[in-house]
Amino acid sequence: MRIGVVTFPGSLDDADAARAVRLAGGEAVALWHGDADLQGVDAVVLPGGFSYGDYLRCGAISRFAPVMTEVVAWAGRGMPVLGICNGFQILCESHLLPGALIRNDHRKFVCRDQRLRIENNRTPWTSSYAENAEVTIVLKNGEGGFVADEPTLDRLEGEGRVVARYLGDNPNGSLHDIAGITNEHGNVVGLMPHPEHAVEDLTGAGTDGLGFFAGLAALTAR
Amino acid sequence: MARYVVDVMPKREILDPQGKAVLGALPRLGFGGVVDVRQGKRFEVEVEGDPDDERLAEVRRMAETLLANPVIEDFVVTAEALPPGEETHPWVEPDRPLPEEMASDEQPPEETVPENTHEVPVVQDRDEA
Repeated sequence: MRIGVVTFPGSLDDADAARAVRLAGGEAVALWHGDADLQGVDAVVLPGGFSYGDYLRCGAISRFAPVMTEVVAWAGRGMPVLGICNGFQILCESHLLPGALIRNDHRKFVCRDQRLRIENNRTPWTSSYAENAEVTIVLKNGEGGFVADEPTLDRLEGEGRVVARYLGDNPNGSLHDIAGITNEHGNVVGLMPHPEHAVEDLTGAGTDGLGFFAGLAALTAR
Repeated sequence: MARYVVDVMPKREILDPQGKAVLGALPRLGFGGVVDVRQGKRFEVEVEGDPDDERLAEVRRMAETLLANPVIEDFVVTAEALPPGEETHPWVEPDRPLPEEMASDEQPPEETVPENTHEVPVVQDRDEA
């Protein structure tokens, strides 16, 4: 299983995402924002950070990076794509996912261990979790409030496309406590919290995040 | 030369935390009676040629594609002709000799500035989406 991890100028968590891929048994392939080439990978992770300095809007410039042309094309053919934090913002700006992410309602950067419920385990990224599994992974964002109009929210809820939901206090003003969603085919997942920071007991909030990467490795090993 | 101004504002129904921060600060500074503040962005796009509908439509496409996110933001595009000499902002390096290289008596001729500088054509287009 070869999983590409894209590095944009300003990406922060690409190394951690690649490490999580390896710990889960996959092969991490470094992809560069300026190359319209996915090097034949089986899946792609868009990592967290502040790509292009978050200028204009988070993810607005990254969307037009040469690598994203390929990501959008292959996502349309069913390739699994996971956008974490800034990667989620890029997926929304790319229209691979509906809605948008805006500044936290309390206006402060939030960084904490966050409890989540995995409500959809039918995506390639969440297939190793039990349905409605409760996990704790790291959340760190300044613009993590998920917003969409009511018809879009109704569709996401009605079609079971809310992948993960915040438990406890809403950390950033996300509508419906949404932490992550998927597209209608279930191959593209956007997630505001960071599973790649919860893959080892030595650091971070336990190993609950490993499942996001392990599920994919198990899926293709079959 | 024409200047197209793209004003981008968060949609009414979208929370604007930045505007709320400013709203909270104003009373602390002694400004009373402020009911609401919303914060947006303004882009000034300078394009060759006089303003026309075709260019205006192109700037609207720029706004839809990049400058604004129609999911959360509305925008308005306006256009105005620029009199010669007002094309560039002061911080843009001019395509002419720097001041120290210019002779002190080397002034642009008066006749390059049209007399009706205050009567520039204005084209306006409002995004109804």
